[in-house]
Amino acid sequence: MTDLKNAALTASAVLLAVLILATLVRAVIGPRFTDRVIAVNMINTIAVAIIAILSVRLKEDFLVDVALVYALLSFLTVVVMSRLVLVRHWRKAKCTGSKPEEKETEEHGE
Amino acid sequence: MANSILSAAGLIFLVFGVFVFFTAVLGLYRFDYVLNRMHAAAVGDALGIFCILVGVILFHVPTLSSLKALLILVFMWITSPVASHLIAQVETVTSPNLKSECKVERR
Repeated sequence: MTDLKNAALTASAVLLAVLILATLVRAVIGPRFTDRVIAVNMINTIAVAIIAILSVRLKEDFLVDVALVYALLSFLTVVVMSRLVLVRHWRKAKCTGSKPEEKETEEHGE
Repeated sequence: MANSILSAAGLIFLVFGVFVFFTAVLGLYRFDYVLNRMHAAAVGDALGIFCILVGVILFHVPTLSSLKALLILVFMWITSPVASHLIAQVETVTSPNLKSECKVERR
C-alpha cells in the first residue's frame, strides 16, 4: 500500500510539473497580457498543489506552511498587478475626460 | 485498516484532481478569448485545488497539518473569485475589441 501510495504521489507531482510547463508555454504565446496573468495564476495554483503533495511524499510537515504562504503570495501577485493596470487606466481616463462612464452608459443603453 | 481506507480515498481524490488540472490546462489552450480562458482557469482554481487538498488532508488526517491544509483550501476558495474578478475587470477595461469577443444576444 505504501509503495502504491508513494508511486502515485510521485507520478501526480510529475504530471502537475508537466502541466506547469504547458501553462508556461501558454503564458509565453498568450496574445494579451491578461492571458499571461491568467496563466501565472494557474501556475501558482498548480505549484500550491505540488507543494501540498510533496509534504505527504517527503513526510515533511513544514511544507504545508510553505504552501500556505505561497497561496498568500500568489493572491497578492494578481491583486497588485491588476490594481496597477486599473489605477493607471483610471488616471488616464480622468485626464482625458470621463471616458469609462460614457462606455458604461452606452452598454446600459443597449 | 482505517489508515488504509483513508489512503485509498486520498489517492482517488488526488488522481481526480490531477485530471481536473489537466482539463483546465486543456481549456487554456482550446478556448479563443481571454474571458473564456478565465473560465477554464477557474475550474482548476476551485475544483482542482479542492480535490488535491482533500486528498492531502486525508493523508495527513490525525495531525495538525490536516487543519493547515484545510486552511489553505478555505483561503484559496475565498481569494480565487476575487482574483478572477480583478482580472476580468482589467480585461473589460483595457480590451480594444470587447464587443466582437462577447456577443450579446439582442432582443
